[in-house]
Amino acid sequence: MRNRSLTSLLLAGLVIAACGTGGTSSNTSAGPKHGDKLTIAVGIDPDTLDPAAQTTTTASQVVDMMAEPLVNIDEKGVVKPLLATKWDQSADGLSWTFTLRSGVKFSDGTPFNAQAVKFSIDRLINSKTQATQPGVLGGKSGIQSVDVVDDANVKFTLGSRFAPFAAAMTQTNAAIISPASASVAPNTPTHVVQPVGTGPYKFKDRQAGDHITLEANKAYWGQKPNYDSQVLKVVPDATSRESLIRAGQADVIALPPGNDLPALQHDSSLNVIMGPSDRTIQIVINTVDPKNTLLQKPAVRQALNYAVDKDAIIKTVLFGAAVPLDAPMSKALFGYCSVGSYKFDQSKAKQMLQAAGASGMTVKLISPTGRYLQDSKVAEAVAGYLTQAGLKVEGPQTSDWPTYLGTVNVAPARASTNLHLLGWAPAYMDASQQFQQFLPSQIPPAGLNTSYYGNPQVTELVTQGNSATDPSQRKKAYCDAQKIVWTDAPWIFLYNQRYPFVTTNKVKNVTGLPNEKFVTSWASPA
Amino acid sequence: MTTYLVRRVLVSVPTVLGVATVIFLLVHLLPGDPARVIAGVNATPADVERIRHQLGLDQPGWQQYLTFLGRLAHGDLGTSTHTLNPVTAEIAARAPYTAELASLSIVVAIAVGVAAGVVAATRRNTAVDLLISGAAIAGVSIPVYWLGLMLVVLFAIDLRVLPAAGAGGPTSIVLPAITLASFSVGFIARQTRSAMLEVLGQDFVRTARAKGAGEPRVLVRHALRNALLPVVTTIGLQFGTLLGGAVLTETVFAWPGIGRLLVDSIFFRDFPVVQGVVLLIAVAFIAVNLVTDLVYAVVDPRIRYG
Repeated sequence: MRNRSLTSLLLAGLVIAACGTGGTSSNTSAGPKHGDKLTIAVGIDPDTLDPAAQTTTTASQVVDMMAEPLVNIDEKGVVKPLLATKWDQSADGLSWTFTLRSGVKFSDGTPFNAQAVKFSIDRLINSKTQATQPGVLGGKSGIQSVDVVDDANVKFTLGSRFAPFAAAMTQTNAAIISPASASVAPNTPTHVVQPVGTGPYKFKDRQAGDHITLEANKAYWGQKPNYDSQVLKVVPDATSRESLIRAGQADVIALPPGNDLPALQHDSSLNVIMGPSDRTIQIVINTVDPKNTLLQKPAVRQALNYAVDKDAIIKTVLFGAAVPLDAPMSKALFGYCSVGSYKFDQSKAKQMLQAAGASGMTVKLISPTGRYLQDSKVAEAVAGYLTQAGLKVEGPQTSDWPTYLGTVNVAPARASTNLHLLGWAPAYMDASQQFQQFLPSQIPPAGLNTSYYGNPQVTELVTQGNSATDPSQRKKAYCDAQKIVWTDAPWIFLYNQRYPFVTTNKVKNVTGLPNEKFVTSWASPA
Repeated sequence: MTTYLVRRVLVSVPTVLGVATVIFLLVHLLPGDPARVIAGVNATPADVERIRHQLGLDQPGWQQYLTFLGRLAHGDLGTSTHTLNPVTAEIAARAPYTAELASLSIVVAIAVGVAAGVVAATRRNTAVDLLISGAAIAGVSIPVYWLGLMLVVLFAIDLRVLPAAGAGGPTSIVLPAITLASFSVGFIARQTRSAMLEVLGQDFVRTARAKGAGEPRVLVRHALRNALLPVVTTIGLQFGTLLGGAVLTETVFAWPGIGRLLVDSIFFRDFPVVQGVVLLIAVAFIAVNLVTDLVYAVVDPRIRYG
């Protein structure tokens, strides 16, 4: 009896250990076009696959494979038809009518039509839907009603004029799901766990924290997918993702470790792709700090811009995974125009600082860690350049993202730093999204304009750009506003980040989109 | 024995309640706003407020605490703020992976550690002893993170015989289990060696040999049996080390267990899941301590629980 209890404890352990997970299916030989299984390692386990509740690009990228919105973007960020073939706005800009693609079916076999669009978008703007994220599509100025004109036409009525409406409809939260599927367990109308859309792949299984398996939708309306299944493995550690692709156990990986980019680029069995991104990385300056009035002067803020060598940081800290900013936004946005450059010039920076009486000024700098590519290392480099320009830099202090967000997303009176590193990635490719960073109405806690910057001229131009129906008028207004922001310099404008991902040379046709997603739906064996 | 068990279980109730209270306070003291983290940086203030309300985070702290305790009494750990699934479901999906990894590791650690310790003790001051003692020190000293990576480089990338990460098949547990066991193997081996050395010098061992018992019988029945008591304590204590190591091991090997769930949940400020996982770990600790105490009585018949 006595000996047996110890033995049975050990045996219990062995039994538990033996009850492993199911066997792996081996990667069998693939033809020139058709493949068995594509394995992709991503860093984040999607919090939810419910299209209406999407906030992170990694989760959205998975949802995109299963459920499609009416419109999407191409590699340059331009809006193009998907489930809708064309769209028009009324003369007053308050209603938008989308004409739907005909003959499309959801992967559960039910037909895609205007009713389904109404169901999905109503669900998005309904506050009873769990954790729904309508963003600009909801609220008083967003969609007020969705009307079925006929089977193939659907009309959206907005609360106020909103020129980039079509661009905003490219977001994954506006994806269309089968109304019937929302009541099939485990889904409920308020919480969709396994989305059923019109996409090239459909949900097969999921083990939380480990993987999501999707299988090809053989009845897909467009170009058919090449792999029978795609497995998204959740591997949070960048080094572990690199191990997987080096071991031949993953075909595609998201975000390899930044330091290893050169080594990966030298490996002839791998392709490193610097995917596009709309994310700008900047050192945000507190422009209203009563304790440091020097930073309220645009000349001082311009001097800080001259003091930092952006090209050197991109080359040595980011290993080429970025392009320097020449405007306060990424090239991928509608409304972007190139407005200038603060070419690295240390003596000019020192002169300007001296002229403004800011030589030897003390600034406090903070940075998140692990949020953006090489974030805290970039902040260290910036601190080095500012020190060389004669400033006393406290920091960079670093913290994890929620703590960091809690530190910078505060009303001006509670601000505790002079400079902080921040990234901003518009949810859709329109300048209006980037200008949220420069509008007084977005000063925390209302938004994330953490430089507390505001310029009535900019606000006026942005309002024009957001409401004008003529695209060239919009572009003009945004361009003028960008010139002012560039000169006012509420940021040290650093760079437009790239979104690196790696594929083996056995895979082709994996493409990156400027919203930091990479599309594997049309991948095929090389 | 039964009375003893019942008493121990009853005594652990206030301990669990204390843990629940401390962890509730700790997570609510963490900087960072869960509603903001869930909503994402592009969310409108209205979105953030609606999520805060849906999650009940707009209620006063004491009310949230009472709700938490009330649910706990019914075995309900609440709803994950990150995934909106019940916390019990989140944990149930992950706990088997950690249980599998930890139990395999402890079995490996006991088997290898005790055997190595016995061998080292009987070959004291020989090359074998030096080798085992050296390896044991290495096992205790090498960081789990580094060892895991080196094993991956060797077995997954260079030799391509084992999976580098993930939980996709029977071989995928091999590298994580070895990595996680390494510290405990070293620790148990060192404990066993010194306990054996002490016992081997005692009179009853000489008596056993004198009465003609064979060496294996002397070592196992007489010496090891008596040396085991401190080793059992060590093994019980190793459980805590294993859970700590599991967090790192699960990260390196993308193993979907509760260690990683805990770390992810802290980063997402998913308070209900953090509370649930910590409670589970506390309960597991209490259970292992109890089992350790019971095993004492098995190993040493002089110990009786009335």
